[in-house]
Amino acid sequence: MSEILFLRNEVAPAMLRGVWMSIRLIVPSAAFGLAIGILTGTLRVYGHAVLKSVANLYVTLFRGFPLLVQLYLWYFGLARFGIYFSPYTAAVLGFSLCSGAYHSEYIRGALLSIKEGQMLGAKSLGFSKTQALFSIILPQAVRRALPGCGNELIYLIKYSSLAYMVTCIELTGEAKILASLYFKYMELFLIAGAIYLVLVSIATWILNNVEDWLAVPGFEPPRT
Amino acid sequence: MRETPVLEIKGIKKRFGDKEILKGVSFALNRGDIKAIIGPSGGGKSTLLHCINFLTLFDEGHVYLNGKEIDYTNKRELYAYRQKVGMIFQDFNLFDHLNALQNVQIGLVRVKKIPKAQARDRAVAELERVGLKEHMDKYPAELSGGQKQRVSIARALAMDPEVMLLDEPTSALDPELVGEVHSVIQKLAAGGMTMILVTHEIGFAGSLAKEIMFMDEGVIVEKGPPRKILYEATQARTREFCDKIIHFHRGGDESR
Repeated sequence: MSEILFLRNEVAPAMLRGVWMSIRLIVPSAAFGLAIGILTGTLRVYGHAVLKSVANLYVTLFRGFPLLVQLYLWYFGLARFGIYFSPYTAAVLGFSLCSGAYHSEYIRGALLSIKEGQMLGAKSLGFSKTQALFSIILPQAVRRALPGCGNELIYLIKYSSLAYMVTCIELTGEAKILASLYFKYMELFLIAGAIYLVLVSIATWILNNVEDWLAVPGFEPPRT
Repeated sequence: MRETPVLEIKGIKKRFGDKEILKGVSFALNRGDIKAIIGPSGGGKSTLLHCINFLTLFDEGHVYLNGKEIDYTNKRELYAYRQKVGMIFQDFNLFDHLNALQNVQIGLVRVKKIPKAQARDRAVAELERVGLKEHMDKYPAELSGGQKQRVSIARALAMDPEVMLLDEPTSALDPELVGEVHSVIQKLAAGGMTMILVTHEIGFAGSLAKEIMFMDEGVIVEKGPPRKILYEATQARTREFCDKIIHFHRGGDESR
């Protein structure tokens, strides 16, 4: 009986709070990350030399530094220079920039897989390079990149758990606090893990639907 | 007074690394002219067509449209020029994520800034002209090679070009699909379209063009009326090439 009361009075409210914070971290980070990734990936393939180098440097740094180190730098490191981020802002910033670096690689690969003829065809009709990129090349590349980018979004859901290391208490943080309070690590982390699994399943379902929605003959999702 | 050519090129030179692909090519097209370019692969035919449209930038030379030299560094001028010069590619280059109708429509909407509904009407009309109205909802992946090339012709025509450059329009097609593309090109010719046709189909070139240019190693070796180039060429290289290709085609015909 006391177990049920514990679940109802302690665990459920904490997990709900946690999952809500996790969602508030994941959704904007996913959106910003994807936008940064598309922009950076495009610059790395089609940008002018200077922008290309800046984009390459960004990817090198943000894929090279461990995410936790990046979060510490945003939250604790910059504070020394008088730049203070809230834990939430630091986490979203860190996740977006890290995610963007990975997305850019999927986008870059997809852009490189689009045949040169698509650009030639567009140019021959009088498209500028930028118009051709937005109307012709990117709509195809995004479709090709979708499975990879989806994978990155799934990763993001799970590395959002690092937010609690910069004191932004989300699902993992709530579980950790409660677990150490009652010394019920196994139970609480299993519950937290199961909730992540549900989030990932929902994300997978959404991604599959997006793939179906964007599918055109010749760009079918690689599923049967 | 001499007529101003629709399209004129002067002294086009292009090198890739050490290799000189075009060694100074010049010619002019008057309104309604149809000229065919034949010659062995690697002779610079495709590069020349790409240079005329500035899809490949040449090292030296000049391109004139209606007597006015095109300055490709002026982007606005370049994009306007490319609308006037339709290009048909060997491998179609249809936009793979758009259906036939959208392929024809998108240039009208994005480049010519025509309202969508009006662009759609025009696109439907162009597809009807190449006999593909009933296939307009199909994507490139669902079309045959011949149909794809006809869509690409409709796409170029929708931009109201003054000249069409056709770069081996049928060489990627199965033999039984060549005819439908040829008949569309013939219809264009009958309508008075000015064209440059790069091709290996000597019979087609001969029946369509007023002049055939034989190109090899980056130069126009010889040019003249089809009969002269195909059967009475003065240059040994032209004769050798034409003999081989005519023999091949005749052999091909007999075996059918």
